[in-house]
Amino acid sequence: MNRTLGSLVALALAPAAAHAQTTSAVEVPGRLLASNCFQCHGTNGSGGFERLAGMSSSEIVKEIQEMRRENPPEMMDVHARGYTDAQIKLIADYFAKLAR
Amino acid sequence: MIKRRDFIKLLSSAGVGMTAAGWSGFAAADKRRTTSAAAAVVPTIAGVKGRVVVIGGGMGGATVAKYLRMWGGTGVDVTLVEREPVYTSNIMSNLVLNGQRTVQSLQYGYGNLANKYGIRMMQGNVVAIDPVGRKITLADGTLLAYDKLVLSPGIDFETVPGLETAEAQAKVPHAWKAGQQTTALRNMIAAMPNNGAFVMSIPAAPYRCPPGPYERACVVADWLRRNKPGARVIVLDANPKIMAEPNAFLEGFALHGIQYYTNAVIDHVDTGSMSVYTNLGRVDANVINVIPPQRAGAVITDNGLADVGGRWTGVNVLTYEANHIAGVHVIGDASATTQPKAGHIANQEAKVCADAMVRAFAGKNPDPSPVTNSSCYSPITADTASWLTAVFGFDAATGTMKVVGGAATEAASRSKDNYEEMLKWFNTLMSDSFA
Repeated sequence: MNRTLGSLVALALAPAAAHAQTTSAVEVPGRLLASNCFQCHGTNGSGGFERLAGMSSSEIVKEIQEMRRENPPEMMDVHARGYTDAQIKLIADYFAKLAR
Repeated sequence: MIKRRDFIKLLSSAGVGMTAAGWSGFAAADKRRTTSAAAAVVPTIAGVKGRVVVIGGGMGGATVAKYLRMWGGTGVDVTLVEREPVYTSNIMSNLVLNGQRTVQSLQYGYGNLANKYGIRMMQGNVVAIDPVGRKITLADGTLLAYDKLVLSPGIDFETVPGLETAEAQAKVPHAWKAGQQTTALRNMIAAMPNNGAFVMSIPAAPYRCPPGPYERACVVADWLRRNKPGARVIVLDANPKIMAEPNAFLEGFALHGIQYYTNAVIDHVDTGSMSVYTNLGRVDANVINVIPPQRAGAVITDNGLADVGGRWTGVNVLTYEANHIAGVHVIGDASATTQPKAGHIANQEAKVCADAMVRAFAGKNPDPSPVTNSSCYSPITADTASWLTAVFGFDAATGTMKVVGGAATEAASRSKDNYEEMLKWFNTLMSDSFA
């Protein structure tokens, strides 16, 4: 029963998932915002300062929130203050989906 | 301007390794798209199709070419036209002046762009742009058709009275485009007598790299203090105040004993007597470094595209498309925006431009609220540095990029940690643009 239900769900979701993939190929949520991190953290978040690719979204959000309280601010603390909560969430979700 | 024959002479005389990557970038053009490396990072995306020609392979041009392929996929055909076989980074080039780096260590080839991303590299000089017919002409007669054109030519210089000839420019180098002149200025500083005078001038803003001239004064003075007893550094600034990182540079000027004059306007330079004539009087020097007033690269001014003050191109910062010429986008130092003229932000402007183009090729609108950031480190001594950073958000009311929080922030103090971070920042930024 469970298996049948699983198959049905998969079938129902397949077209929607395929459609989402097509549209998101050029409008990837958070990608352009996250590319602001690439100059120091590497293209796609690996190869420079702390690796962001594959980090959990909640961990990135937590670190950013801590940086906002640092005074006097280091360079990254200034960046943490430069984005809204919604923008930080988009950036964090984007990096979380990349391979660790 | 470095003439082509001088560049070649420099390469052979200095034994500069013309990096294998540099030449292979151009040689490999025909093999693009067939390499497995390109297949790994350039996706195939249905419904995205377009031809882009990029003029200028600096921080902006290299980055926009790379991200057009990374984000637009195999359907976006990208040709990058560049005059030189390798790029020489202006960032960090002040450290050539104190002997910590060589010009060779600042050179980046185009091999990755060609082989890894499948970008067609063309070495040449653009002689004409036809924005109506959407094509450009190279000096050798080659015609390149485009759907969208990106101009990222950087800066060129206004002529300073007294420095009209190549001989005069060789005696008083600007060293504001890294290369032969940077090495020449380093050699002049190294040959200065004890008690000698190094005089440099800063042009009225906007100019390339706002903190750069002050950084130069500091690293040169730091080196002279340790190597040429009694030597003086005199800074003639056309601006009314220090244009970036005032706290770090005022401390640096005091530390190094730099004589700093504001509102100093150069009338002319006499390379015979090695004197700078200004509204504040005559200044005699052993070494003179005039950083001339600046404008967009010649491909902009020669083709009637400099609609802002006759020097820069006004752009829509959602796409970087020129305000008055459809299909022509201008990024980096050559565009007139509220953002600084510097390599780090040219890299981010390139990503905004690439993203908007890819969306346009798919029939989509640009991101309505782009964010960019400017970050840089400035050495104050041979082992300490300061930094400056700002995040810019799109302001719909004015159609401009505005600093979030109102102002750029500088480091609380210079430090050795900042100096170490500077090296990592530089290497990562260059990789994000060229690798």
